[in-house]
Amino acid sequence: MIPAIHATGLVKCFGDHQRALDEVSLHVESGEVLVVMGPSGSGKSTLIRTFNGLESLDEGRLEVLGIPLNADHDERQIRRIRKRVGMVFQQFNLFPHLSILDNITLAPIRVQRRPRKEAEARAIDLLTQMGIAEQAGKYPGQLSGGQQQRVAIARALALQPEIMLFDEPTSALDPERVKEVLDAMRSLANNGMTMVVVTHEIDFAREVADRVLFMDEGKVVETSSPDEFFENAREERSRRFLNQVM
Amino acid sequence: MQFGPSPFKRLKRHLLATPLDGLMTVLLLALLGWVATTTLHWLFVDADWQVVSQNLPLYAFGSYPPHQRWRPFLWIALLIGLTLLTLLGPRRGWIRKALPLVWIAMVPCGVVLLAGGLGLLPVPSHAWGGLTLTLLLTACSGALALPLGILLALGRQTRLAVIQRSCSIYIDVMRAVPLIAVLFFGQLLIPLFLPMHLEVNRVLRAVLAFALFAAAYIAEDVRGGLQAIPRTQREAAAVLGLSPKQMIQLVVLPQALRTALPALTNQAVGLLQNTSLMAILGLVELLGISRSLLANPDFIGRYLEVYVWLAGVYWLVCTAMALLARHLEHQLSPTRSATSKQ
Repeated sequence: MIPAIHATGLVKCFGDHQRALDEVSLHVESGEVLVVMGPSGSGKSTLIRTFNGLESLDEGRLEVLGIPLNADHDERQIRRIRKRVGMVFQQFNLFPHLSILDNITLAPIRVQRRPRKEAEARAIDLLTQMGIAEQAGKYPGQLSGGQQQRVAIARALALQPEIMLFDEPTSALDPERVKEVLDAMRSLANNGMTMVVVTHEIDFAREVADRVLFMDEGKVVETSSPDEFFENAREERSRRFLNQVM
Repeated sequence: MQFGPSPFKRLKRHLLATPLDGLMTVLLLALLGWVATTTLHWLFVDADWQVVSQNLPLYAFGSYPPHQRWRPFLWIALLIGLTLLTLLGPRRGWIRKALPLVWIAMVPCGVVLLAGGLGLLPVPSHAWGGLTLTLLLTACSGALALPLGILLALGRQTRLAVIQRSCSIYIDVMRAVPLIAVLFFGQLLIPLFLPMHLEVNRVLRAVLAFALFAAAYIAEDVRGGLQAIPRTQREAAAVLGLSPKQMIQLVVLPQALRTALPALTNQAVGLLQNTSLMAILGLVELLGISRSLLANPDFIGRYLEVYVWLAGVYWLVCTAMALLARHLEHQLSPTRSATSKQ
C-alpha cells in the first residue's frame, strides 16, 4: 500500500544560515494520525506546509500519496497533490466576501466541476456534521472563531481529501472555543482520516494521535507513541519541553 | 446624544461667552447676511437667465439634428431612470441581479442611440454635444479604463519581469504627463498609427486617449486594493486547488475592487469633470457648447449666468454619481467584513 506521506532528508533554508528544516525524515501511513509538537520556531509549520507545496524544498525527497514533490517545485505535481490533500490554517483564512455556503462550494464547483446542487447538498451535510448548518447563509465576519474554524474544516473536507493537514488549528481561538474544533477533528480521526496535526493541545495528542513527532530547531528530536512520549520521553530535550507546557 | 443644556443655551455659551465673542458673532452674521442678500439679489433680479432658458436643448444635446433629438433624450432619460431605480433599491431579486448588467449595457446602448445604425439614421459625431456628449465621454472612457487599469495593476504584480516592468513604466509615464498633453497627443498621434483611409473620428480619439490616461490612475487604486489582501487568502485559494486564474478572478479581485471602491469613485467623478478639457480640443460637450453660446452676440457678457448654471449641472451629475457609489459600497458590505470578530 502506498504510504500517505514519505519524506527523507528534507532541508529548507530561510536566508543563508537559518535552517527551518534540517534533514527531516518521516513516514505517515494511510489512516494514521500524526501530531507534530515542538517549541515555536522549531519548523513544525514549515514542515506541514511542504506537504502540499506551500513551502518549496531545498533538498530531500518527499512523496505525498505516491506523487513526488522535490526541490524542483513542479507546479503541476503540486496541483495534483492539492486536489487530494486538505488543509486548515491557524487563522481560518475563509474568504470574507463569500457566504459560508459559497466558501465551501467554491472549490467543488470550480475545481472538481460538480453541479451546484450536488455541491450545496454536500456542503449542508458537512455543516450539519460540524453542528453549524444554520450558519450557511451568513458571512465569515458574522461567525465566532470556533465556528469559522469548523467552516474551514468543512471547506477542506468538501473536496473529499485523502489527507488532512492542520496547522495549529486552535491557536487563534478563545479557550472556550477550542473544544468544539477539537471535537470535530476527533470525530474525523475516528472515521479513519489520515491526519497531520501541528498543535499544542496535549490532551488531544494523547487521545487521538497514533504517533507524536517532536521537533526542535528544524530537526526531528523523537517520534514516539503518545503514551511513551508524554509519560516517559526518550530525549532530554523533549522532557524539558514537556515540563514547560504540562 | 448628551443631556446637556438646551440648544439655545448652548448656542449662547459658544457664541456670546465674552464681549469679544459677541462682537465677532455679530460681525460674522452681518457679513453672512450681506453675502446672502447680494447673491439672492443677483440670482433673482440682476441675472438674465435667458441665456440658459432659451438654450436648454443645446445644453442637453448640442447641435444634434432636432428631429432626431429623441435619441439622446431617451438615453439620458434611461440613465436617470436607472439611477433612481438603483437608489430606491428594488425589492425583487431578479431586478437587483440584473441591475449591474443593465448599467454596463448603457454604454453600447448610448453609442448606438447617438451614432445610429441598427435601423437608426446615422448621425456624424461632430453633431454630438452638450450634456449627452459629456456623459457619453465619461461612460465610454470609464468602461475602457477600468478593465485596462485592472490589467495594469495585475501586470505590475506579476512575476514575469518584462510584463511587470512595462506596466510600471506605462503607469509612471502616464501619471507624469498632464491630461491635456495626452489628449493633444491622442488627437495628433492616433491618426498617424492608422492607415490613411481609416479615419478615426474625434470623439473616439478623445475617448481612447482619455481611457489610456485614466487607466494609469485606476491601476494605482486597484494596486492599493490588491496590497490590502493578506497573502493567506491566496494560500487558502491555492490549497483548494484553484488555478492562478481562478484565484485572481474568484478570490483576489472581488476583494481588491471592494477595497479600492472609494478611490475608484473618486476617479469616476474626476473623469466626468475632466471631460470638460475636451472643449479645448473642439468637442462641444457641456463646457464647449457653453463657450460657443457665449460667443453668440445675443448673449454677450453673460459669463456669470452660464458658469453658475454649468456649476449647477456638474454638481447635480457628480452628486448622483457619488450617491450611486455610496449605494454600491453599502450593497457590497452589508454585514460582512465590517464586523469581523476573531
